[in-house]
Amino acid sequence: MNRMLGIIDATAFRPEIEDLTLHRSLAAIPFAGRYRLIDFVLSNMVNSEIDSVAIFPKYSYRSLMDHIGSGKQWDLNRKKDGLFFFPSPHLHNEYDEFGSFRQFSDHLDFFLRSSQEYAVITNSYTVCNIDYKQVLNRHIENRCDITEVRQNGESLQMYIMSTKLLMDLIEDKTKTGCKTLTDIIVENRKSLTICDYEFTGYAAVIDSMDSYYKHSLEMLNPAIWHEVFLNDRPILTKAKDEPPTKYGKNSSVKNSLIANGCKIEGTVENSIIFRGVHIGKDTVIKNSVIMQKTTIGDNCLLEHIIADKDVKILNSSQLNGTEEKPHVLRKKTIQGAMMNS
Amino acid sequence: MVRKKCVAMLLAGGKGSRLSSLTKNLAKPAVPFGGKYRIIDFTLSNCTNSSIDTVGVLTQYQPLVLNSYIGIGSVWDLDRKNGGVTVLPPYTESSEMKWYKGTASAIYQNINYIKQYDPEYVLILSGDHIYKMDYSKMLDYHTAKNADASISVVEVPWDEASRFGIMNTDEDMQVVEFDEKPVNPKNNLASMGIYIFKWSVLKEFLEMDDRNPYSSHDFGKDIIPLLLDEGRNVVAYPFKGYWKDVGTVKSLWEANMDLLNDESQLNLFDRDWKVYSVNSNNPPQFIADDAEVTDSLVNDGCVIMGNVDHSVLFQGVQVGSQTKIKNSVLMPDVVIGENVLLENVIVPSGIEIPNGTVICPSDANEVILVTEDIIDEISLDIDTLSSN
Repeated sequence: MNRMLGIIDATAFRPEIEDLTLHRSLAAIPFAGRYRLIDFVLSNMVNSEIDSVAIFPKYSYRSLMDHIGSGKQWDLNRKKDGLFFFPSPHLHNEYDEFGSFRQFSDHLDFFLRSSQEYAVITNSYTVCNIDYKQVLNRHIENRCDITEVRQNGESLQMYIMSTKLLMDLIEDKTKTGCKTLTDIIVENRKSLTICDYEFTGYAAVIDSMDSYYKHSLEMLNPAIWHEVFLNDRPILTKAKDEPPTKYGKNSSVKNSLIANGCKIEGTVENSIIFRGVHIGKDTVIKNSVIMQKTTIGDNCLLEHIIADKDVKILNSSQLNGTEEKPHVLRKKTIQGAMMNS
Repeated sequence: MVRKKCVAMLLAGGKGSRLSSLTKNLAKPAVPFGGKYRIIDFTLSNCTNSSIDTVGVLTQYQPLVLNSYIGIGSVWDLDRKNGGVTVLPPYTESSEMKWYKGTASAIYQNINYIKQYDPEYVLILSGDHIYKMDYSKMLDYHTAKNADASISVVEVPWDEASRFGIMNTDEDMQVVEFDEKPVNPKNNLASMGIYIFKWSVLKEFLEMDDRNPYSSHDFGKDIIPLLLDEGRNVVAYPFKGYWKDVGTVKSLWEANMDLLNDESQLNLFDRDWKVYSVNSNNPPQFIADDAEVTDSLVNDGCVIMGNVDHSVLFQGVQVGSQTKIKNSVLMPDVVIGENVLLENVIVPSGIEIPNGTVICPSDANEVILVTEDIIDEISLDIDTLSSN
């Protein structure tokens, strides 16, 4: 118990998903009706008995901080250990690479003060339900220096190593020329024993609009949401005091995930509806992702749409994207009937 | 302790025996309501929304769930350094063990709790009712009238007035007489069991009442009549809006059905007057391809494969395919199999209803509270049918 330190590198920025990151970092993108991307790695850590977690954000982290708060929802508001927030002190692009040692060395005191023997280092945007205790057991059994979690030949950017090794790597960064964790793995000049851990469960890396849309709709597959949500390792998130969702007399909802606090009068098919969304009468929504508190008027038709938070769609609007390229409505915009795309 | 202007005392020891098996292991204020809440959430949220931050909750009957539910009150923002929520169970004194005999004696036993805040006013509440009310407005009214006691009243239909404690008032809302369940009511203003007292007056009368061996130590029956006898200034505060005592299975069901009415005055979606409740950690609800959900309230974590109409579903309810649910209340984590037909029922938390079960009363006005016994009986019938 309490043998691992959790480190979440939340510095990532991807122009491929810019529409959703104008007001927030990648880690804070809403996902699956009531979560933010960071909830998955953070909950995985807490469920793996990690009770000291450090988050390293860089870009526009207001939304991320608002979401995480004191860490209470993850039981991380502790007197000893708990949650730590370490924003980059500079906007140097050296921080942008995953696992940048410079970012860690700027907060070296945290590592020096921690007593945990091992460190789990992850990115902030991988959706999965993984038990790091199992990864750690394998890591110890096989006497590895570094274990990398992988799936189908791709890295999931989750690593376990001893905290001591991590600190050595951070301190040696100028000597070795290895500035990031990835450099270490790729170049491995120090002849470390680097092991692979093949993760066989569901994993989705959300780093572009395409992958966001594809994996969002995958959540409608019962086998997938059962695996991600309905086991004894719950994905935790910021609680909102929303009432239950109200379905109207003529509502028709098929194959959809619906969060709390919605009012649904119209038709919803194959879609993800976040908290507090209002959908008007005779409106049809298909294959879409509608985020928090967006309101959609009467008599609208929406297909292949990703609507960010607080979008207002006026009565009788028709908006279409395609399966390959969903149409994205930016946060707080008003979409009028005459502004058809 | 920093002095408080007003301290609330919330009576939550009610047994609610007319709620039958729902209150077998649960105090009435902890009974689930409205797809997400427990009854007491409404009163506690009213306190927070009325800026009353010091609330003593008096528990007695089956307090386990209620006590752990209230916790340190953070859900209602009542975890405060000074004040906040305090659960007040009965306790033994050096001379004797004292259970709470009546509403007034319960408050009297906790006089030290109130004393430490040295308030000007004490608000007496009950955890049995569903309503949204701004107590700060009632306090303003109480102060403006310079009343010794104010009693919140609500207009009830004349033909139901004899079921309530009725306040007979003059044109200035001065209470002249208290009529407990009158056969021939002279008025239709029913007491809601919500009182504001000047603390000095309440203290005096609680002490007086405690010395009276013939008293039943009840606010409605003893304290208020005593104040009137002594010629104190007792006023009625007229409340307008939704108010319901959910004391019976039928009224609990009705109050749930009221939420489905779009014109209902009890708007759960009002962002300026949120009803706070412990949030369960459940994924969003999943509505399957051949499901139909209409005119219903559904909470997080439900998985619906069948047909749900005009019903209230709490968190984590599962409804199997080819199943039809109508006019029903399904409490948390109820699991309903396939080919089930349920109408006009309340299903308590965690009950599993096997495939093929049919429960629907022949009389559309009747409501059935489903119990394990009823299910055992029915499944026995189904087994005999299939073996024949």
